[in-house]
Amino acid sequence: MRSILILTLVSFLIFGCKEEIVKSTNASGIFLPSETAPAIDFNIWLNVGSQNDPIGKEGVAFITAELMSDGSTLNNSYSDILDKLYPIASGYSVKVDKEMTSFRASTHPDNIEEFYPMLIDALLRPAFNEEDFNRIKQNTIQSIEKSLRFSSDEELAKAALMQEIYKGSRYSHLTMGTVQSLNNLTIQDVKDFYENNIKGNFNIGLAGSYNESLVDRLYKDLVGDIKYIKNTKQVEINPKAIDGLNVYLIEKNAISTPICFGFPIDVTRANDDYFALDLFRSWFGEHRNQSSHLYQVIREARGINYGDYAYIEAFLNGGSLSMPNPNNPRNEQIFQVWIRSVPHQVRHFSLRAAIRELQMVVDNGMTQEAFESTKQFLYKYSLHYAPTLSTRLGYQIDADFYGIKGGYIDIYREKIKNLTLEQVNAAIKKYIQYDNMMIAAVTKDAEGFRTELIENGESSIKDWYSSEKPEEIYEEDKTIANYPLDIKEDKVTIVPVSEMFEK
Amino acid sequence: MNKLISLLILGVVLLASINISKAEGDKVFPYNYTVETLENGLKVYLIPMESGGLASYYTVVRTGSRDEVEKGRSGFAHFFEHMMFRGTKKYPQDVYDSISISIGADANAYTTDDYTCYHLNIAAEDLEIVMDMESERFQNLEYKEAPFKTEAGAVYGEYRKNIANPFMVIWEKLKETAFKDHTYSHTTMGYVEDIKNMPNLYDYSKGFYDKFYRPENCILVIAGDIDPKAVMPKVKEYYSAWEAGYQKPEIKPEPEQTEERTAETTFDGKTNPIMCIAYKAEAYSPTSKISMASQLLGQLAFGSNSDLYKNLYITEQKVTFLSPDFPMNRDPFLNQIWVQVKDANDLDYVKSEVLTTIEWYQNNLVDASKLNDLKKRMKYSFLMGLNTPDNVAGGLARFIAITGGIEGVEDEYKTLDSITAEDIQKAAMQMTENKRTVVKLFGTEG
Repeated sequence: MRSILILTLVSFLIFGCKEEIVKSTNASGIFLPSETAPAIDFNIWLNVGSQNDPIGKEGVAFITAELMSDGSTLNNSYSDILDKLYPIASGYSVKVDKEMTSFRASTHPDNIEEFYPMLIDALLRPAFNEEDFNRIKQNTIQSIEKSLRFSSDEELAKAALMQEIYKGSRYSHLTMGTVQSLNNLTIQDVKDFYENNIKGNFNIGLAGSYNESLVDRLYKDLVGDIKYIKNTKQVEINPKAIDGLNVYLIEKNAISTPICFGFPIDVTRANDDYFALDLFRSWFGEHRNQSSHLYQVIREARGINYGDYAYIEAFLNGGSLSMPNPNNPRNEQIFQVWIRSVPHQVRHFSLRAAIRELQMVVDNGMTQEAFESTKQFLYKYSLHYAPTLSTRLGYQIDADFYGIKGGYIDIYREKIKNLTLEQVNAAIKKYIQYDNMMIAAVTKDAEGFRTELIENGESSIKDWYSSEKPEEIYEEDKTIANYPLDIKEDKVTIVPVSEMFEK
Repeated sequence: MNKLISLLILGVVLLASINISKAEGDKVFPYNYTVETLENGLKVYLIPMESGGLASYYTVVRTGSRDEVEKGRSGFAHFFEHMMFRGTKKYPQDVYDSISISIGADANAYTTDDYTCYHLNIAAEDLEIVMDMESERFQNLEYKEAPFKTEAGAVYGEYRKNIANPFMVIWEKLKETAFKDHTYSHTTMGYVEDIKNMPNLYDYSKGFYDKFYRPENCILVIAGDIDPKAVMPKVKEYYSAWEAGYQKPEIKPEPEQTEERTAETTFDGKTNPIMCIAYKAEAYSPTSKISMASQLLGQLAFGSNSDLYKNLYITEQKVTFLSPDFPMNRDPFLNQIWVQVKDANDLDYVKSEVLTTIEWYQNNLVDASKLNDLKKRMKYSFLMGLNTPDNVAGGLARFIAITGGIEGVEDEYKTLDSITAEDIQKAAMQMTENKRTVVKLFGTEG
């Protein structure tokens, strides 16, 4: 039986919420009431995700959840659902990740009686009919075959990195599945997955201007006497140790080369070292922010690309979002650097520049000055992580996943405020390295890139520049251009884009 | 980019609908704002709202790619937006960066066809620091030629990133097909040849700043936990020295289109074919019934619960999406219907279904309940949406840029409330063959 979640969120900066309501059931419940909020936000989540896809049925968690959020129910056809939700500007959607599935919904208090039964139908009475199934399945296959392979090279590189780092584990495949597994998927697979993993596994998150009776109603309807599923257990991931610098190149007629690299790290929000490491992460490569050190080196000083960032936990849809969207918590995380698309001509140089910067900070640690300014930055920047009540609810659900008690944003800020440089540098030493990494890139003439990498010769950038640079940049460029990357021939794999995520 | 614009438009349309639930004579905009125009022409809106110590700081410059009138200068407004982060006389880049870092601001900017927007989410306690920095870069921007050229490289990087998406390719084709003289003929990102030439335009960039970054061409919006009585004097202190001097560009009007235009383009790689069916539309005005009725028509005929959407997406499953984009623009632009089909052989069929739908709205009156449902939807979207200073200021940015202020929201509401089924029909009648442009995109590898 799962533990009863008891949360008291002392201060809510944005909405001045009151404290939690506590319930005794198998399910967790997180409640953020606010009388002044303009909406009622639901977040019904499960600690179930694509890692629970049975072997050969990759994508079934995703398709099942999509069918629930974007398909017919036993009481309404999908078309009728669209009609009914339209005038009340309400709706529900789903986010599926490796270990979590989260149904989010929002409605105005005026419309709760119209909306609520439809939400419950979607969760408990999905129709799982062939018409909806075929639509969602075919669209998902097209998303892999067309969009991911051909319209989004940066996301393609990042997905390839995950695939290779977690090869052989249930983290490796795309949440969407593979082309082959999706083609083989049947509506019965979806029904089975729902019965075995979804129904009976709901947890309840509620925020905004709801009446307290809604809490009882949700418990009664979603938990009640539905049999709790015991067989959805933690899947062992255990990523294999990476030996040396491994390179995975996707050959494609790409206009430029996006690159990412990384390795598993044994730290999550559940671990106290997380906060120290997160300060390093922010300094080294804050997502979509000029404060990122890598951004300064690669984009600002040299104009090579649009941006360069670093992560210590999964940040999904980074090309579109400037702030992380919650509800993709994972027990296994990677350290990752994302070098946005660079001209092919300077791909080798760019990779060297990024790894060299990593080496320097690992060897020398952060300076007192960088530490202080990043601490100040993060303490305030984190105010913007959860501007709405529904996002804040998402953060609390993630806190529940990691076993953190209390208001997460407040805890995060307090932890950052109390960090010391010694703690941060110790965390860098403990978790970050530069010798054993997986590197993934999407590029044209991958063979040529392989040769450049293996030969490890000079990769000058000077001819590429279209403007004068300060002398110190030219000097540093010489060092970067000759920075040794020890990449062995048998560590480079080239894969044509058409084979990506096929099986 | 296109999606962002649509969202902004939606925000404004929704905003305009709140008064549906209010008595006649009530103000539409729910917050009591303060507005003042400084002597130099800078218009300032201060919108106090409870927001737990946060504030949003928006500067809207009423210049976008629409103002790029000279040949070879496409994309320059966007490029220049990048240069606004390159330091000032008082705060050279490193100082500017270190102050930005110290206040942990969530700061960014974007450029559209009609305007450029600089926005920061901040702790309200840092408002004066931000005002100092923002007012400084709008008055005393200073950068050297070398970093200017370097930044051009980053913009080219942004182009390369974007063009890997087929929608950017067809967007470029649509604009150049539908427009011959007007600057809407090029995208906000600009043509690749012009982007490549940007490093050579250092002197031009100085003139660009001089012409367009002037107080009477800008609108400042600050929303959040602020006290207007305390903030307005500070605005005057920091912004009054900014000299007027905006030079309005001569934008050629687009000659009337006389026949349907069609074009095809390709995307290097695999993609499902994409088609846009677009019609020349009127410039946006909050008092124009046609303008408002067109926006409603787009939702009724092609939105997510329209009959056509249900048929093509849910039942026949021939399209992976169908979406209307009937935007607001300063000059006459395009009402667009976007579709992506699974099979290129279905393109003609889907096109004929779109045209048949338009014909239906030309020949029939929409059911009153459907129109009311749409108005009701707008009301609730609005009520649920204005929940943060960023959503308030950000949602208003396009409307402010196009109409010159928030006041027009009241007019827009009145217009919206008055729209009848006959108005929807009149809007449909405007969608005639001679105003149509149809562009298709195919993948080179299928």
